[in-house]
Amino acid sequence: MSITTSQYVGNVRDTVKSFWHGMSVTLSQVLRRPITIQYPDRLEIPVQDVLPPRYRGFLEVDTDICTGCQACERACPISCIQIEVEKDPANPKQRVVTQFDIDEAKCMFCGLCVEPCPTGSIQHTREFEATQRSVRNLVFRWADPIKPFPVYKVVKGAPYIPRAPLGSRVKDLLAQRSWDAVGTSYLPPEPLKPPPPPPVKPPPAAKPAAPAAAKPAAAPAPAPAPAVQPDEPKP
Amino acid sequence: MSKLVLRRLDRNNEEMLINFGPQHPSTHGVLNFLVETDGEVMRRAIPDIGYLHRSLEKIGEMVQYPGYMPYTDRIDYLAAMFANEGYAIAVERLLKIEVPKRAQYLRAISCELNRITSHLVSIGTMATDIGAVTPLVYALRERELLNDLLEALCGARLTYNYHRIGGVAFDMPEGWRDKVLAYLDRLDSSIQEWDRLISTNEIYRKRLGGVAVISRAQAIDYGLSGPNLRGSGVDWDLRRDVPYGAYPDFSFEVPVGCGWAGVVGDCYDRYYVRVLEMAQSSRIIRQALEKMPDGELTAKVSRKPKPEAGEVQSRIESARGELAYYLVSDGTERPYRLRARTGSFMAMGIIEDISPGLMVADLVALIASLDVVAPETDR
Repeated sequence: MSITTSQYVGNVRDTVKSFWHGMSVTLSQVLRRPITIQYPDRLEIPVQDVLPPRYRGFLEVDTDICTGCQACERACPISCIQIEVEKDPANPKQRVVTQFDIDEAKCMFCGLCVEPCPTGSIQHTREFEATQRSVRNLVFRWADPIKPFPVYKVVKGAPYIPRAPLGSRVKDLLAQRSWDAVGTSYLPPEPLKPPPPPPVKPPPAAKPAAPAAAKPAAAPAPAPAPAVQPDEPKP
Repeated sequence: MSKLVLRRLDRNNEEMLINFGPQHPSTHGVLNFLVETDGEVMRRAIPDIGYLHRSLEKIGEMVQYPGYMPYTDRIDYLAAMFANEGYAIAVERLLKIEVPKRAQYLRAISCELNRITSHLVSIGTMATDIGAVTPLVYALRERELLNDLLEALCGARLTYNYHRIGGVAFDMPEGWRDKVLAYLDRLDSSIQEWDRLISTNEIYRKRLGGVAVISRAQAIDYGLSGPNLRGSGVDWDLRRDVPYGAYPDFSFEVPVGCGWAGVVGDCYDRYYVRVLEMAQSSRIIRQALEKMPDGELTAKVSRKPKPEAGEVQSRIESARGELAYYLVSDGTERPYRLRARTGSFMAMGIIEDISPGLMVADLVALIASLDVVAPETDR
């Protein structure tokens, strides 16, 4: 492969020319303002506040306006939401939610559960920082099996449904647990069975008994009742 | 595989079997190539795929029709909008739903924005694989700005899950239209800058011109599609030739490779077709924003659609070629069978036959110019 001298000189000239074209673009970048931000520190405002409102972060459930319809549970393609609704033993007409667990470690933040919610109780927030040493601590338990919350009944003709400020409840929940809190010992999500609703007397006797039974039975074969205990928010 | 190991023991011990990948930085995901080399020249390169197989087609048989939409995002993480749209169109054909006009326009806009982000990554990584590291940084900068816009539209930067069966999830946010128009002005000037920076660079053109030529007949035989097919000089674009959605309303050109740096169908042609396509996408988005009609965002679809028994196919022009879904329904809430045809898988097939005689370093250029994305190959 031989080339003449003029071709050779032409090649060199083209290369040098295109080299300087490229360099002019690169050098012009020096004068421009950088668009990178120094996350997580050296920020003027927190990143959560500059995210767009549609950002799909952690799911938040406003338990005051949850109707217990379980539409979100059915819509979830990976069933990371578990809801149990039972009748209130005291008032048979009132239904209560005894379990509302969202496994945020499993959640793929698709937003399909938000769409069917009739009251806007379940919503995505702009919170996304929740590092946990134990992955089981990322299960957000919105209902307390001991103190279940009653379902909300939509008032007909009401102009709006009062909702807690978006993100406030998730922030509370995240603040409750330190990042290195001890998680439960088992890994697969155990379907929680709340204590069976006994008719009259047994509940006061059963409730104090449960924590006592939990301690010896912690390591082997978690029985349904002790399984509830390790996930209670500890002060 | 066993045949390959046997061939390695040639008489003069000149040939060598090298594993290229799966953790190689220039393989665009977890890809493995078994490269049979003689010195610096390849005898052949055999793609070994399957590292990112997540059985997405099988999952489709287990979840209900609307619930599969987030999974389609994972088919191709760089161009999730197209996977969304293809699946939505397939189910709509199964349910015989007409999509509202406004939703079709929003689909076109979101898809074209996604095409720009995908091509920016493609051309940026291609320059990096060849050895020019700077352009990738500029490409990713432009892409981040566009990701912000997509995040404002649908709430996520990669796994959009924006399209729904029968329409789209959200309308444009307030002030979004002006932001997109401002961004497109910026993009048009940055494409010119890009041309000055790398496309017209003499070293770059000489490096890619005439390398790994895929002839017109070969490209058709192997079922290449999208920019890879057009880079080989075949004038075929589903948006124009088999129009779907709102595309008949827009006028745009289809860039076709014509040997800008040497031979038709070389690496440079496939690269430059993508650069030109970004400009055309920008043109489509401008037209769509201008003509945007009012109306509903979604057609009326039940939460648990139960289509009649039957089978449908949908084809759309994705950033990596034709994306086709084949759906079989047996009249229940879940598909009986779901099949996705992706462009990268077809592009991987041609590598084994193009590779003989290439240098090992040219394999990197070939993979980058075919724009292979591993999750799309394996699904």
